[in-house]
Amino acid sequence: MLYILIILLSAIAQFLGPWWLMALVCFALCFWKSSKAASAFGVAFLAITTLWIGFATFQNIANEGIISQKIADIFKLPNAFLLITVTGLIGGIVGGFSGLAGYYCRKALA
Amino acid sequence: MKYLRALLSLAVVTGLLFVLNRPLGPAPALGPFFNPFSGFWQNAENHNKSAPSQLTLAGLKNEVIVKYDDNGVPHIFAQNDEDLYFAQGYVLAQDRLWQMDFYSRVAAGRLSEVMGPLALDFDKYNRRLQLPEGAEKIAEALMHDPTSKMIAESYAAGVNAYIDQLTYKDYAIEYKILGYKPEAWSPLKTALVEMVMRKDMNARSDDYMMSNALSKYGKATIDDVFPDYPVEESPIVPVGTKWDFVPVAVPKVPEMLQASVNARLSIEAENPGIGSNNWAVHGSRTATGLPLLSNDPHLGLSLPSIWYQMQLVSPSVNVYGVCVPGWPGIGIGFNKDIAWGMTNVGSDVFDFYQIKFKDATRKEYQYDGGWRPVTAKINEFKVKGSATILQDTVHYTHHGPIMYDEGQKPFFNDTPVGHALTWVGPVAQGNSLKALYLINRGKNYEDYRAILPFLASPAFNVVFASNQNDIAITSAGHLPLKWKEQGKFILDGSNPLHDWRAWIPVEQTPYVRNPQRGFVSSANQFPADLTYPYYLGWKFAPAERGIRINEMLASMQKATVDSLRLMQNDNFNVEARRILPDLLKILATDPSLKSNQGYEILAKWNLKNDPDQMGATIFERWVRELRLAIWEDDFPSQDPKKPMLLPTRDRTWAMLQKQPTAKWFDDNRTPNKVETANEIVITSFKATLDSLAAKHGPINPATWNWGIAKNTTIKHLVPLFSAFSRKGVYNGGGGNIVNATKEGHGPSWRMVVELDKSWPKAYGLYPGGQSGNPGSALYDNMIDKWAKGELNELVFLKSKDEKHPKIVAETLLKK
Repeated sequence: MLYILIILLSAIAQFLGPWWLMALVCFALCFWKSSKAASAFGVAFLAITTLWIGFATFQNIANEGIISQKIADIFKLPNAFLLITVTGLIGGIVGGFSGLAGYYCRKALA
Repeated sequence: MKYLRALLSLAVVTGLLFVLNRPLGPAPALGPFFNPFSGFWQNAENHNKSAPSQLTLAGLKNEVIVKYDDNGVPHIFAQNDEDLYFAQGYVLAQDRLWQMDFYSRVAAGRLSEVMGPLALDFDKYNRRLQLPEGAEKIAEALMHDPTSKMIAESYAAGVNAYIDQLTYKDYAIEYKILGYKPEAWSPLKTALVEMVMRKDMNARSDDYMMSNALSKYGKATIDDVFPDYPVEESPIVPVGTKWDFVPVAVPKVPEMLQASVNARLSIEAENPGIGSNNWAVHGSRTATGLPLLSNDPHLGLSLPSIWYQMQLVSPSVNVYGVCVPGWPGIGIGFNKDIAWGMTNVGSDVFDFYQIKFKDATRKEYQYDGGWRPVTAKINEFKVKGSATILQDTVHYTHHGPIMYDEGQKPFFNDTPVGHALTWVGPVAQGNSLKALYLINRGKNYEDYRAILPFLASPAFNVVFASNQNDIAITSAGHLPLKWKEQGKFILDGSNPLHDWRAWIPVEQTPYVRNPQRGFVSSANQFPADLTYPYYLGWKFAPAERGIRINEMLASMQKATVDSLRLMQNDNFNVEARRILPDLLKILATDPSLKSNQGYEILAKWNLKNDPDQMGATIFERWVRELRLAIWEDDFPSQDPKKPMLLPTRDRTWAMLQKQPTAKWFDDNRTPNKVETANEIVITSFKATLDSLAAKHGPINPATWNWGIAKNTTIKHLVPLFSAFSRKGVYNGGGGNIVNATKEGHGPSWRMVVELDKSWPKAYGLYPGGQSGNPGSALYDNMIDKWAKGELNELVFLKSKDEKHPKIVAETLLKK
């Protein structure tokens, strides 16, 4: 449930505003919903990774991989698959730590 | 503990956001860049994307319709000219905004603001060339004329209407990687783009190397080795054409500057060849009975391409062709009645003056028997990654800037230190927008001639054809009225007779209309033979392309579009025809070459620089080596102290054929031995095969074929972004071949127009694509066809109501 909510709300937030709004979404939703530190991090990490990888993959397919190969070259990555993985990791780490911070902050205020 | 954990985790998140939201050295901010909602994934253009059906743009007076064909070419239908140029700016910015912004930054000397210290010396050089001052002068002229003012302002408004819609996610990939934003467009930026062209065409010089040679060998030898007209030439204006004007007085030749050339300078190889071909065939020689026109400007091949195709339609005009991003109007193209094209006029419009300072303070310099003050100007540079503003002081004489003071390192090695520069770029005004406005609407020969006074710089050989069966060519532009050989050597800055004083009257620059031979052509060679009353320069592009074009045209009857297309792709090597038989005879005298594979390949070569020929590879590399082997000891082009120019290939072959015992063949670096011409030919041939083997392995077609060995590469404008370049484009041709495709230069647009009484047919393409986005399928889609020598049929719509199967999308721009 939390996983779906993060995906939905952060997608809307990033569609309308800057990328870091997703950190606020993870923070707020984990503050509200998370029951454990590990799951706050894990669910937020997975949700953002899913979203970023999913959206990047969708665009990559529509583009037939033209830009991903070139950007992978610039970053000295061997292929577009790894570029998508890096995309997911960057989003996931920020999302995960934001979720964790949300959970810890609630604990601190409880 | 629980507070600490909360604080710590918050600190980690804040730290992550902070680090990921800012550029890391040369890398972009990773957060926004990788975010698929805003970053580079947004530049992954959907293959099936079609243009929006409607857009509302503040600033339009009426509705404008933009139709796109399947090659991404916009066909703009406006109801007035203001809207037309507004829409041109808007549509161009959609596809090429970053590129036009880049060009304007180059000329403004402001690249280091966004690229960092790497670009600083380039910026300083461009400011010292006075590109910004030149642009201001051009912009002033633009604003003075109501027509060009309307064009420049409407176009800028259109570009800005596009910029105003953008957020980070819409930026071109180059903005995202380099981490900067587009800046508002203006008429001044259009003028800056024009200055880039002036610089690319005109801003190099042999003066210093020629002065070094002159001071070593004296005038008689230099006249012999560096003659003012080639041995073999086929000038643009046919030999024997009578000049139908009364020339103005040409300044008298003053005493030549020979003395104390003591500037420090070193030289890189020869100037990169900026060349082009164009020609028009009279109806008496075509299948249709009406003219055909062909043009292929050769420029540095780049991605995004220097050209962009468009059709512009308003009640006053219906024109198709290519434009340079940032420069409104159509530069090379055709309309219902006429077609025109351009090549560069390589006349000498870039001269250095030796300056004699009064004393070590360098505050005054000698002129006309007295002293004149040196003025100083401080250029300021903001450099990416640095908080302080850098200053660069440039000293000026009335000739122009002293390009580099003693102790400074020139950006280009052919710039002498301590010398002032006079060149046409910052002084010629003209009004190219007005010229394009008029030719885009031109109907006949008179309209064509009427644009010429507005073309100042760079000077172009403007070829013309009309459906009234007129053909013509003019070397048009502001050309300084010089005494013979003025500027062949470094000029004396203290002598008023050495100043540029006047221009050749515009109506007297070389031109010809409907010549007897039934065609006109140019390939950057001498505009005219020595009967032309004015001195234009002592060296133009080698004659081979012009010779070949004129031969083919002279033997052509019932020419068609396809015969002209084949001509554009002609790979025949005129130079090899001239010299190879003699060279082979010499090689045959060496018994060790009897069964040499390289020799056999060359002997059996078909004299064509086709991509599947190994002979072309050997010949092209060998003639380069051979010229060095003959001359480098006498005219050391690589000498860091006193570099000299190598004599031309034309002069070299004439010597080999007519003066085989000339003293120049002896290598004076071997004091105990006198080499003969034959020895030099044979040893340089063997050396060439060795160095080719070192580079490409043992002789075999897979690595030695010309199309492979030449390795034509079309680079992105930012050299660092090699991932956005296209390497290994398999193609024939060469520098002195009609198909002038070299390693990084070549035909940047190929066009053939078949004039017609009712509606012309035209064909063309360029090595790139309409989109500037490396993430678009239309970024480089024309390259493969271009390399094969094919052309696209161009979609020239009669009206907005014409149904055409190639039109795939339409956007309505509403006010």
